[in-house]
Amino acid sequence: MKNIDAYTHVRGESIYLDDIPLIQGSLFGASFGSPVAHGVITNLDLRDAITHPGVVRIFTHKDIPGENQIGGIVPDEPLLAGHEVHFCGMPVAFVVADSMEAARAAVKKIKLTIDPLPVITDPREAQAQGELIIPPRTFQLGDTASSWSQCAHIFEGRADTNGQEHLYIETQGAYAVPQEHNAIKVYSSTQGPTAVQRAVSRVLGLPMHLVEVEVNRLGGGFGGKEDQANTWAALCALAAHHLKKPVKYSLHRMEDMAMTGKRHPYSADFKIGLNEALKIIAYEVTFYQNAGAAADLSPAVLERTLFHCTNSYYIPNVKATAYSCRTHLPPNTAFRGFGGPQGMFMIESAIAKAAEELGINAAIIQEKNLLQTGDEFPYGQKAQSEAPECWHKAKTLYDLDAMLQQVQAFNATNTLYKKGLACMPICFGISFTKTLMNQARSLVHVYMDGSVGITTGAVEMGQGVNTKIAQVAAQVFSIQPEKIKIHTTNTFKIANTSPSAASATADLNGKATMLACTAIADRLKKMAAEELGVDVRLVALQNEYVYVNGQRTDRDWKSLVMAGHIKRIGLSEHAHYATPEIYFDATKEKGHPFAYHVYGTAFVSITVDCIRGIYTVDAVKVVHDFGASMNIAVDMGQLEGGIVQGIGWMTMEEVVYDTNGKLRSNALSTYKVPDIYAVPKEIAVEFLQTPHENLAIFRSKAVGEPPLMYGIGAYFALRNAIRAYNENGHFPFAAPMTPERVLMALYPTQKKGITESHEETINHLAVDK
Amino acid sequence: MATKGPHNEDPNDKALNKGRREFLKHSSLLTALAVAPPHLVKAAESALDEKAAVYFEQVPLSLEVNGVHHKLSVEPRVTLLDLLREQLALPGTKKGCDHGQCGACTVHVNGRRVLSCMSLAVMQEGKKVTTIEGLANGDQLHPMQEAFIKHDGFQCGYCTPGQIMSGIACIREGHANSDEEVREYMSGNICRCGAYPNIVKAIADVKKGGHKL
Ligand code: FES
Ligand code: FES
Repeated sequence: MKNIDAYTHVRGESIYLDDIPLIQGSLFGASFGSPVAHGVITNLDLRDAITHPGVVRIFTHKDIPGENQIGGIVPDEPLLAGHEVHFCGMPVAFVVADSMEAARAAVKKIKLTIDPLPVITDPREAQAQGELIIPPRTFQLGDTASSWSQCAHIFEGRADTNGQEHLYIETQGAYAVPQEHNAIKVYSSTQGPTAVQRAVSRVLGLPMHLVEVEVNRLGGGFGGKEDQANTWAALCALAAHHLKKPVKYSLHRMEDMAMTGKRHPYSADFKIGLNEALKIIAYEVTFYQNAGAAADLSPAVLERTLFHCTNSYYIPNVKATAYSCRTHLPPNTAFRGFGGPQGMFMIESAIAKAAEELGINAAIIQEKNLLQTGDEFPYGQKAQSEAPECWHKAKTLYDLDAMLQQVQAFNATNTLYKKGLACMPICFGISFTKTLMNQARSLVHVYMDGSVGITTGAVEMGQGVNTKIAQVAAQVFSIQPEKIKIHTTNTFKIANTSPSAASATADLNGKATMLACTAIADRLKKMAAEELGVDVRLVALQNEYVYVNGQRTDRDWKSLVMAGHIKRIGLSEHAHYATPEIYFDATKEKGHPFAYHVYGTAFVSITVDCIRGIYTVDAVKVVHDFGASMNIAVDMGQLEGGIVQGIGWMTMEEVVYDTNGKLRSNALSTYKVPDIYAVPKEIAVEFLQTPHENLAIFRSKAVGEPPLMYGIGAYFALRNAIRAYNENGHFPFAAPMTPERVLMALYPTQKKGITESHEETINHLAVDK
Repeated sequence: MATKGPHNEDPNDKALNKGRREFLKHSSLLTALAVAPPHLVKAAESALDEKAAVYFEQVPLSLEVNGVHHKLSVEPRVTLLDLLREQLALPGTKKGCDHGQCGACTVHVNGRRVLSCMSLAVMQEGKKVTTIEGLANGDQLHPMQEAFIKHDGFQCGYCTPGQIMSGIACIREGHANSDEEVREYMSGNICRCGAYPNIVKAIADVKKGGHKL
């Protein structure tokens, strides 16, 4: 089935936040963010700003009727800074004016006096100073301490990954409209309507049933609009509440980049031990997560880093410790993969380090240690593994040996171009790691003309979730998809939703929809059976007709529904779904947190231009475990898009803060996102249709996040290509591998220190010290 | 150390501003317009454009958008993008960056592609503008729109209007003879969802179809 939004998308008729027709008298907001990363506010001078033509009012923390707090997991994030500022861009005041231009111009006239305090941008430094968001967490399996003696080879090292800007092409935004009875309606570009509802309710001191949050669709989210949409919604709601006028704020790209958090940068120390047979016996890793100035979703992201710290491998002795470190950067947040990719990069670095030291191909170690069904993860769950299946299928299908030989042959005959190949197996757990979030509801109405309207907690952001939900209803009722309309996500229709995240949205909301549709279909079938005087077990709905014992009757869908209405059968249903079987005990750090895992293997090959340091991804060849894909077009899009985003994170996307905590990569001109050239020349995908029962909707496994992690292979392919040029090229396990870094790695012999950033750069920049 | 706000105002600005304001107050709009260019430039230089704009509010503009003639009054600083979205209620053209860096705002002016966020509305006097809303003929989609549906050339859809407008121009310009060429001439349109492979397929397909675009 085609994406249900295809027609309106190509006609420019799809409505995003900034396209909602404005109500007369609407005002416009703009937020004033702190120019300093850390300090005490001594004076806030609004005089010039307030007299700017068109300005209606400027709001500060003093205007908040409820609580000045938007922190979801940990209450550590004020909506508007009062006494102290904790990051550059932290909202201090919110200007409301009769035009967007006036609001932005007035923002520039606000003067803030700050006594600066020391700024920390490095997570290791924060950890050393005891600046932690939550106490450290450790996942343990077996006993590493006593295992090192069994290891023939032990390697230690450090690995670092940088952040990643979400760069959804639609920026963040909200539009708040006051309602009668003191209620408020907020249109928000959010992945988490309930999170926005809670934040607004808290800030305004209103019960949640007075706060209606509505989302039509997002122009991309990628995790960036999970908790970070709360700020703008709460600011607009605050202003609308006081002024009794609609207030809109759609962020400028540069405001968005400067004020919102990104993927968490991580630094890690690892120690890996292997026996003679190259089985990994022990793995110890310590993660330093750069959480930024407030918790946001960092504790949950940290947890997933631990869950995925052994990627697709079985390691009998593991000790993984993670610190969530408070720095003075904007609070970092969810980003496709949610900490998982960072955990995987570290184990892949450890394996690569071992392979490089042993002078063998990393694939040999990878293959020998793949998870088998029944193997235990460090968190206690037993694997239902498709890892060997994916690996071996890929190996034969794409002829890995031949690929390796081609690379070798190419490198033997070319001096200024080198190729590198890396294998990247993945294993990603599906479910929110917080068990309580694994629930969803769906409201299905069948109207008397046979048309169907569905509302769920799912937010459509390009992942095709609404298309999948429509497919579910079309299949259960056996009607044409045109008869089905998926409505906006609205907290007054569906309450207490989990955000659209964790790749689990289609599973949770799809299953709830299936339950609701099945309940209505069962009632209609029962009625038809009585009417026709047959056993209900013989009745089926098929192609818009009632079938009895495989024979079509005269009863079509439309008349069946009308008859149901006349007979006073309930044609509406609100169903609730909660993922069964999952649990997790955080006191023991053990449990069964995931409904299932998604597996896959990718081979990534890259050519490096050894004079310029630039490179092209030649091919990404994948065998991916889809379970049984229910929509190949949608899933393919997710896979290709995820790979490109993963490659971007590993190669060209470089978030740069200076040591004062100011974002330097603050526009599309200074932050490079994958353009059309970044796409691998060839993306080959084999849909591994795996037969095992799973908890996915129609057994079609979640596909939003896992493919991003194939992109990690790009880093290691680059590394291999560089080493083919310069065998002695020792360079840090640090991503992204920008062309500049590639060049520095290619020529490390020039002078000691050239593999590190230029000295002047080090002085100015917080990254890569 | 004390830190000042992002804009350090020169105290002279105030006096200058007052003088200009008085002058403007006493001149009719027409006189003001007649002397506009040098003063506008000066005003902008002294960061007074906001205030000046209040007095130089509207400039007449006539142009054709999607086959409809419009006689409008616009502020001289308004971009074509904002004119389309806010004054003409054509929100199909998207704003991704407002800085000419993403391509989401691509429209056609006299048949050629233009980043509408980078061009002022007043520059379009007498010109013909086509936006995504002007491509289809009622229910009859433009071949490029058809091709984007056929090849799933989108995910979230936000970059799509710009991609489609660029794609059509790419073929018209004669720059769609190979996938390589399509990539080069489409490289100004960013798609964060990464629908690129399908976008290239859609454009190649339309090119192959040989439609007159
Ligand atoms: S909005 Fe015009 S190029 Fe981005
Ligand atoms: S479809 Fe989402 S940005 Fe292109």
